[in-house]
Amino acid sequence: MQALYALMRAITCLNEWVGRVTAYLIIPVFFLILAEVFMRYLFGAPAVWTNELAQLVFGVYAIMAGGYLAISKGHVNVDIIHSKFPVRTRALIDVLTSAMFFIFMGALLYFGVSLALESMETWEHSQSAWNPPIWPAKLMIPVAAALLLLQGIVKLLKDILTVAGVALPADLAAESAPEEHA
Amino acid sequence: MSIELLTLLFFGSLLVFILLGLPLAFVLGGVSVIFLYFTWGFDAFYLVASKMWESMNSFTLVAIPLFVFMAMILERAGVATNLYRMMHLWWGGVRGGLAIGTVGICALMGAMVGLSGAAVVTMGTIALPAMLERGYNKEMALGAINAGGGFAVLLPPSILMILYGLITGVSVGKMFVAGILPGLLLVGLVTLYIAIRCFFQPEMGPALPKEERGDWGERFRSLRSVILPILVVLMVLGSIIAGIATPTESAAMGVLGALISAVVQRALTWEVIRTSAIRTLRLTAMIMWILFAAHAFSAAYSAMGAQSLISGLMEHIPGGPWGTIIFMMAVLFFLGMVLDPVGIMLITLPVFLPIITELGFDPIWFGILFIINMEIGYMTPPFGFNLFYLKGVVPPSITMGDIYRSVIPYTVVELIGLALVVMFPAIATWLPSMVM
Repeated sequence: MQALYALMRAITCLNEWVGRVTAYLIIPVFFLILAEVFMRYLFGAPAVWTNELAQLVFGVYAIMAGGYLAISKGHVNVDIIHSKFPVRTRALIDVLTSAMFFIFMGALLYFGVSLALESMETWEHSQSAWNPPIWPAKLMIPVAAALLLLQGIVKLLKDILTVAGVALPADLAAESAPEEHA
Repeated sequence: MSIELLTLLFFGSLLVFILLGLPLAFVLGGVSVIFLYFTWGFDAFYLVASKMWESMNSFTLVAIPLFVFMAMILERAGVATNLYRMMHLWWGGVRGGLAIGTVGICALMGAMVGLSGAAVVTMGTIALPAMLERGYNKEMALGAINAGGGFAVLLPPSILMILYGLITGVSVGKMFVAGILPGLLLVGLVTLYIAIRCFFQPEMGPALPKEERGDWGERFRSLRSVILPILVVLMVLGSIIAGIATPTESAAMGVLGALISAVVQRALTWEVIRTSAIRTLRLTAMIMWILFAAHAFSAAYSAMGAQSLISGLMEHIPGGPWGTIIFMMAVLFFLGMVLDPVGIMLITLPVFLPIITELGFDPIWFGILFIINMEIGYMTPPFGFNLFYLKGVVPPSITMGDIYRSVIPYTVVELIGLALVVMFPAIATWLPSMVM
């Protein structure tokens, strides 16, 4: 059991770290787009690469936090009926409905991998004027899917243990994020 | 299996899983993958991953985290506190004046940010205690904050308008401009409601005693507080209307404006940046994952051929094109009570929009109607987001029941506004045709 807890903690820790790092990507996106506006109007010389780089950074930013968000139940749900049930019933319902989550994430991971492999076969570039490599961004699709999938497995394990009546250690039982909700 | 039965199963299972508390993104994704499997087979899932890449590549979407980031910084910059002081001095002498002032600040904040939560949380923290202390009726006060928060999605900039533009292909800039007059109309109607109600029932919102109203010097000095907000509004809206910046670039201008405001207010610390960045990521990731799942949803949806079924059904609605519009408004109103706006948008627009264009209606005008509905949806029980944001900041003496009851008159007022825009489309379409 201790090994299982350690694994669950490790996954949660990984996603938390990914989330914290990803959050700062908004700053380069902001500076890149602002730089584009200023270069266009102050110097009359739009750069070919600022918007495209901002775009690539944004793409990674948008997908990577799926797992981080799942740690603290940040994916919006309708809990008006759900929250009325006792804790164990709730966990049982979550175990059953998680089938949907795993079907979706499984499909996304499987085809995310094939999309990324296809792109890496040719070390794909964007074919724009700047022509940066885009395979690293595509590679992030299966990575992001895997991170969310792992966090989903942690949630499933927690629910199964709750249904079985095992009392979870306090740090694993907690579901609220240290940061407040948006 | 007949298409009718399939559709029923599809939407039925969506509803069941949503009500069972599974997050919306996973319900949309999971149910869609299952139905895609039965109509197009295993390889159809490739579409899900490739559509994800498409969303990552949309320059318009880059505006979302930027507008969110801007709102988070502005919320921490303390701009609202000074604004409230100003409203207090100018409007305190009028019956219902504090509630009117609150609505006014919400509108101004709405013109700076594109999210409804920011204004609700700040006004719930600053304005609500002030109003309750001075004997305002609590439902009058709560409702004003709830309704005020919603203006943010209709007054540009607006995250929902960006998504609407993305899904329907209409210009986001035009949507922004089209939202200005309907937004002001709703602000006016809500203000009018408060003023009339408090005039005849002074116990709902008594005027402040003379000594609290301040003198003229104090009043004019307090006007300084609008300088920063107006600067931010000019940077964002001005740069779009003047054609200097795309909506995405205007969002970066907005972040710059928010940072300048924070510096002027001496509120810019690393801690503010860090927490704003984390909250921005959370909200953006939530929206984006719903968006990814919704791509699977629309793929499954068209694979099943439900589009033709729904268009067929729509033909049976009495009242011709206008009957259809009214029916759609009713559907959106009820969905607004139970689902979040991003979800509603992604589920209904692929169905509604082809019908709207086929009937010859202006998609910009329909977009504004749609957004007004979402604005109402933000405050209608049981699941309006604003209700929960507000519950999070009110004193414990105020129950969810108080908050639920408080929105009823405001909902009626906003429905009147919606009806006016339905009857007089020029309210939405005139301004974009003039300036763009």
